[in-house]
Amino acid sequence: MPNITYYDLRHVTGQITHIDIDNGVFESAGTTFFNKAVLRVISNTGWGILQIDNYQPCTGRKFDELLQEACKLSAITQEQVRLGDVSRGVLAVPAMKEDPRSVSIEEKSAILAEIEKGAIHPSVVNRRANYIERVEQVAFSDSSGNEYAYEMCRSGFNVLAVASRNGNTQMGYEREHSIHGFNLRQHRDLGKKAADIAVALLDAKGAHGGKMKAILDPELAGVFAHEAVGHASEGDLIQEGNSVLKGKTGQKIGNDLLTIVDDPSIHEFGFDPVDSEGVAVCRTEIIKNGIVNAFLHNRESLAAIGNGVAGHARGMPGEPPLVRMSNTFIEAGDATDPEIFEECKNGIFLKGSRGGQVDPGRGVFQFNAEYGYLVVNGECTGMVRDVSLSGEILTTLHNIALCGNKRVMSPGYCGKGGQSVPVSDGAPTILLCDAVVGGSGMD
Amino acid sequence: MRWWAAVEWIDQLLREGQKSVDEVEVFYVQGRSISADLKQKKINLASASEDCGLGIRTIHKGRIGSSSTNDPAHWKECLDAAIASGHLATSLPWEGLPGAQDISQTPLTFDPSMKVEPASALALLEQMLAGAEEHAADVTAGSAGLSTATVTLANSRGAYYTDSHTGVSLSLEAIHGQSTGYEFDHSSFIDKVDPFHVGERATFFAHESAEGKDVTTGDYDILLSPLAYGELLGSVFIPALNGRNVHAGRSRFAECMGKPVADPLISMYDDPFLPGASGSVTWDAEGMPTRRIDFIRDGVLEAFAYDLKTAYRYGKTSTASAVRGGYGGSPGIGHHNFIVDGKRGDVTDERVIYVHSVVGAHTANPMSGEFSVEISNAFWMENGEFQEPIRTAMLSGNVFTMHNEIGGLSHESRAIGSLILPSVKINKQRIIGK
Repeated sequence: MPNITYYDLRHVTGQITHIDIDNGVFESAGTTFFNKAVLRVISNTGWGILQIDNYQPCTGRKFDELLQEACKLSAITQEQVRLGDVSRGVLAVPAMKEDPRSVSIEEKSAILAEIEKGAIHPSVVNRRANYIERVEQVAFSDSSGNEYAYEMCRSGFNVLAVASRNGNTQMGYEREHSIHGFNLRQHRDLGKKAADIAVALLDAKGAHGGKMKAILDPELAGVFAHEAVGHASEGDLIQEGNSVLKGKTGQKIGNDLLTIVDDPSIHEFGFDPVDSEGVAVCRTEIIKNGIVNAFLHNRESLAAIGNGVAGHARGMPGEPPLVRMSNTFIEAGDATDPEIFEECKNGIFLKGSRGGQVDPGRGVFQFNAEYGYLVVNGECTGMVRDVSLSGEILTTLHNIALCGNKRVMSPGYCGKGGQSVPVSDGAPTILLCDAVVGGSGMD
Repeated sequence: MRWWAAVEWIDQLLREGQKSVDEVEVFYVQGRSISADLKQKKINLASASEDCGLGIRTIHKGRIGSSSTNDPAHWKECLDAAIASGHLATSLPWEGLPGAQDISQTPLTFDPSMKVEPASALALLEQMLAGAEEHAADVTAGSAGLSTATVTLANSRGAYYTDSHTGVSLSLEAIHGQSTGYEFDHSSFIDKVDPFHVGERATFFAHESAEGKDVTTGDYDILLSPLAYGELLGSVFIPALNGRNVHAGRSRFAECMGKPVADPLISMYDDPFLPGASGSVTWDAEGMPTRRIDFIRDGVLEAFAYDLKTAYRYGKTSTASAVRGGYGGSPGIGHHNFIVDGKRGDVTDERVIYVHSVVGAHTANPMSGEFSVEISNAFWMENGEFQEPIRTAMLSGNVFTMHNEIGGLSHESRAIGSLILPSVKINKQRIIGK
């Protein structure tokens, strides 16, 4: 056996249940099954990694053969990988209020259909609702004797309404996902909400591009934190030299009132009982009172660059873990909503998000609001649609003028390296000065 | 598992399924891949995967069920789950899966010379790094991957096809100061990728984009590279040609058949037989013989894409556009090699803003087509020469209406995934400076 200095194995089995309703038609519904594992070995230099479909747990000679196979891969690596010292421990998975598995698929389908029907409106030409429920049984072991196992269930739904009038087509989109159990019953009104937004957007105007004051609702401000700071603080990118935050520890890049945190331990959609390297999870304050404070790490990036804690490694089943965000948020401040609107006076109030993207090396990010309202003399007036914002990591954070006093988290998924993991983003309502708003709207 | 070993359980599955439902379809994938990743200039990890999975679709009295698993030994449970899933589906018009047809089974995307081995990935990375030395920028990350897969489709009407694919993909990221560059390449054939060029372009864009100047807000003629054009086209325009979106009310083109939807210079078509293209295939994911589809000819909308389910439902004919993203789920409507074509010319004889890529294309409104994205590696360009770089700006517009403002198509095209695209000059687009 070659000189193996470390190995770990993460085995995930599970099932995915889905329901898809399109304009009242049950397009598909049912359950699929998966069984995937990833075996990582460090032998002399870097990682040799085996991704195994349909893994059958084994020991002795059979497991040694897998280790040897991974070692052969490791043989072409050149970088000397070292792993940082870490804390261990597994958090309990919070009990679900209602286990989705205890609800028949017929009942789930009936409630989803009710939500979808809620979007019926004379101007709505298409309604679509999807339910997704993912149960994972995770087992981890490593060459240091660490072992853990847990089961997690994530479930939720999306509802889309498309409104159309005279060639103008707009959409409203609502979603709710949770680790706390079956969540359809308490959100039966979201189909109607999606339809109302889609119909209202038919009369909304396109935004004018340019610099202005922008009030971001908690969902959009959460995406802002995720794109503007979260990705650039990922230790693997810092290690590669592909983040503008490299070498910025201790430097002030934002207003005093700005604290941005990633915390996989809180019971939001990005919760992990333990990370994908078997490391205990905990809160990391990335930006503290406007100053770059710590980075997000896996064991490798922690050993390479320090400043922060590991416990931020996450991988899809069968995929090598990467440094990822989990629950990322801007801490609440003390401003009330009326104070924020009064301070804004004239600008734009933006709500919801269709996501965003960042180039962390260049330090430039973009994110998008689902809709918004022009703010005139501190009051919301006309509705606007298709508003994007862009900014630069090292300057835009100075422009956060006020943080509201109530933080709200929103669930979602984040992509990196071809892997999508559940996350949540959150913030209070914030006021951003000199926001660069994209739009080609004309009077 | 060799494919003839798979036959036994596939035949058993089809026989078993027919005891309960009208029709059964099995899609089975076996594959192997190798990849190696750089962290800066050193290989940090090498990985290998052995993939397998089967997807089952059952149809009974117009109700379609599906399930999947990556454990072929448990095909019976998977079949039961597919049949149970069908009970929940709404009954829709259905006229049957295709039977056995005389379709060429000569693989169009298989390179027998491709060696899916760590040494192959190592050689590709070394060539990329050699190319990266051409310009003064630091490599931050890179990857080289090779794969081979065999796909089998069988159904209870007697269709039984196998196809083999190979693939190679490369990418490199670089940085110079606070200026980043990224380049990639992919193909089904090992000698069709140019790792040296990938490395050279990544450091070129990182180095040459540094010290960019700002641009004032206004309307400018822009030149979208195939990558930037593909990012916008793929997230908005192509889904509007999907027959299901058209009939469900999710396409802006629903009432546009036979009407002009783009500049007469533009044609768009799916050519599943294009030699060397990575999407080339003789049968679609439902076993229908593929054919060319002319979606837009000289600016006029002529066709939408259909799979069997959508075609039966709306009284249309399948265009053999069924695709699968993997073995899981049901097939959906897609394309094989989506090509934008038209009269080619010199697109930089007048000064334009060249946009190499964009940040945030996926946030475009898929219904209305409106978008505002950050531009990356943008330059002023004239007579084919990159001139001064642009530091940062947003590009705002509408993916649909910008096709009426086409100023020209470049001579060369490039594959961006399954899209084969030229650089496209678009007149008078809104740029928001900072």
